[in-house]
Amino acid sequence: MEEAGLLGQLGINWKLFLSQAFNFFILLLILRAFVYKPLLAVIKKRNEKIEEGLEKAKVADIRLKEIDGIAKDKIKQAELQSIDIIKDTEEKAKNLEQSLTTKAEMHQKELMAQIEKEHQRQQEESRKLVVKNAAELIRKFIVKTVELKPETIDQALIEKAVAQYETES
Amino acid sequence: MEEISLKAEELFNVGGFIVTNSLLLTFIVSLALIIISLLLYKKISMVPGKFQSGVEMGIEWFLDLMHSTLGSLEKAERYFPLVATIFIFILFSNLLGIFPGVGSFTIDRHSNHVPLFRSPAADLNFTMAFAVISVIVTNVLGAMAVGVFPHIKKFLNFRNPITFFIGILEIVSEVAKIISLSFRLFGNVFAGEVLLTIIFFLAPYFIPLPFLILELFVGLIQAFLFAMLTLVSISLHTAAHEH
Repeated sequence: MEEAGLLGQLGINWKLFLSQAFNFFILLLILRAFVYKPLLAVIKKRNEKIEEGLEKAKVADIRLKEIDGIAKDKIKQAELQSIDIIKDTEEKAKNLEQSLTTKAEMHQKELMAQIEKEHQRQQEESRKLVVKNAAELIRKFIVKTVELKPETIDQALIEKAVAQYETES
Repeated sequence: MEEISLKAEELFNVGGFIVTNSLLLTFIVSLALIIISLLLYKKISMVPGKFQSGVEMGIEWFLDLMHSTLGSLEKAERYFPLVATIFIFILFSNLLGIFPGVGSFTIDRHSNHVPLFRSPAADLNFTMAFAVISVIVTNVLGAMAVGVFPHIKKFLNFRNPITFFIGILEIVSEVAKIISLSFRLFGNVFAGEVLLTIIFFLAPYFIPLPFLILELFVGLIQAFLFAMLTLVSISLHTAAHEH
């Protein structure tokens, strides 16, 4: 089995040598096909996914900052808009108040005029009623006062008293 | 005590092809690695299990090491299968060679007790095959990386006597590399086997334990060293010539 000379003494045999080499290459091919390639592919894919995730997170972070900025701008705009709206509303309220006050004043004046008119009318009616009842009242008054017979009282005197009362009232 | 033989012992003959005890263990190691790799292949998924995670961690660590040595991840991925297979094969061979019980099986051959298994690296055919593969493949990879003629010019350069002499030295260094790689691995593993045999013969209980642990460590270191020297050789051969 052995080679001659030094190689033979060391146990080197070309067939064994080649079979060892062949064995190694077979193992290399199998490990390459079933372990290294699939595992390296899985590792690469996973790393890519991680990198992709990190990239997406970075983009999302930037977008979040942008949205935050936009939100701040919107809030600022809304604040300004609300101030404008409040000013406008205050202005409108002031105008409305003024117009309502004017209307109310006019209405008040109208009412006052009506009341005055009514008052005058009632006063006139009262006066007329008083004048109407005054003659009878005075007659009764005089009768009671002087205890005279009514038929003796001078009609002219009564009328004079009534006229005097009218002018006084 | 068993007879210590420098050569691997012949076990049987299959049609003129001799099967030695080291070759038998090499086949067993290969078979075990193939079965493990096929089992792993079936379970590979994006969400790894414990075993896949362990293998992935090992691969990533080794790939990082190669990346730092070669200076390029692409190169590291390209040469990873060769270097990793050398490391794994030698490591498993060394570990299985000193596995308790492996050396206990013997068969009768020509009225001699011959061990059924022998650590593959304790056979020069194994270490020499690996060393030759390492040197040839690194040169082929170098030629592929820098071009055939620039690579050959490293060994045969007739521009002036100095470059010619350097070329001769390069050839000698490649031959020396084969010898140093193969004999270093063989020497360490064979010496370990001899040491363990003697220790087991002298004191079979407890005393051999530290030596077994030492041999585990030696097996790991030698596998790593062989793979690293191959890696450094690849790095040197595939680097672009600056001068």
